[in-house]
Amino acid sequence: MDKKKVIVIPCSGIGKPIGTVSRETTYEIVEKLRKEKCQTVCLALLTSGDKETIEKLNKNYCITIDGCAKHCAKKNVEACNKIPDKSYMILKFAAANPDKKPEGIIDIGNGGSDLVDTVASHIVKDIDELTKD
Amino acid sequence: MEENENKIKKVGIVSCSGEDLPEGTISRIATLEVLLKKKPFGTTTICLPLFIAGGEGDRLFAKNNPTITVDGCEKLCAKKATEKYSGKVTCSINVRNFINSNTKVCNKRNLNSREKEIAGKIADVISNKVDDILKESKSYND
Repeated sequence: MDKKKVIVIPCSGIGKPIGTVSRETTYEIVEKLRKEKCQTVCLALLTSGDKETIEKLNKNYCITIDGCAKHCAKKNVEACNKIPDKSYMILKFAAANPDKKPEGIIDIGNGGSDLVDTVASHIVKDIDELTKD
Repeated sequence: MEENENKIKKVGIVSCSGEDLPEGTISRIATLEVLLKKKPFGTTTICLPLFIAGGEGDRLFAKNNPTITVDGCEKLCAKKATEKYSGKVTCSINVRNFINSNTKVCNKRNLNSREKEIAGKIADVISNKVDDILKESKSYND
């Protein structure tokens, strides 16, 4: 049997820089830091009820990365009858790291990139814990 | 109701932002170009995950105002969700219709110059469509 992967799903909220931070953090993890253990799926596709995507979600671990307290990624995953193994909110990390401030929505700037690094390095520890067996 | 209250002031733009496709990032960048640079006063965005998760304000806006959806692939998630919760969209754009068969798009995180060019072309199309919608609404209300 194939080893379970971790599906990382950001909210990608389009109206706020923290939405971009959630998206970039996901890419930092799935394309760079834990390429072999992780992948992402399109949140919109999942919520539109795509069977293949829902099946992938249910066969693997799942973590959600939301920008704000509306927790759209988490709620949409739960609506597919999957409880995320871990859920994160960028706003919490931003509050704990006031020196790492994202600048814009298209370009989050150096502050935003630093925040991405901080969040991603925190999350990969949890991913390693989830997948240690 | 006053006649002016019927006048459309903003067009809602809904991007699929599909995370697992380069075209999803192109849809997002094209949408943001219009929202933030080309038509900041004539448009507003609707956050698709929030919309689907039950954002009543966004659903009501999309029900009462024209919407343009920008999807990355043929699955048309943004269009389908908007029509499911709010009604028929005014215009639906599929990023793949702007990519010719010789062009390969491959970056999800940082678009290359060719991918940015495609996003720019799509932003122009959205922007022109916004003008058409607002003009039509003006002449209707004049």
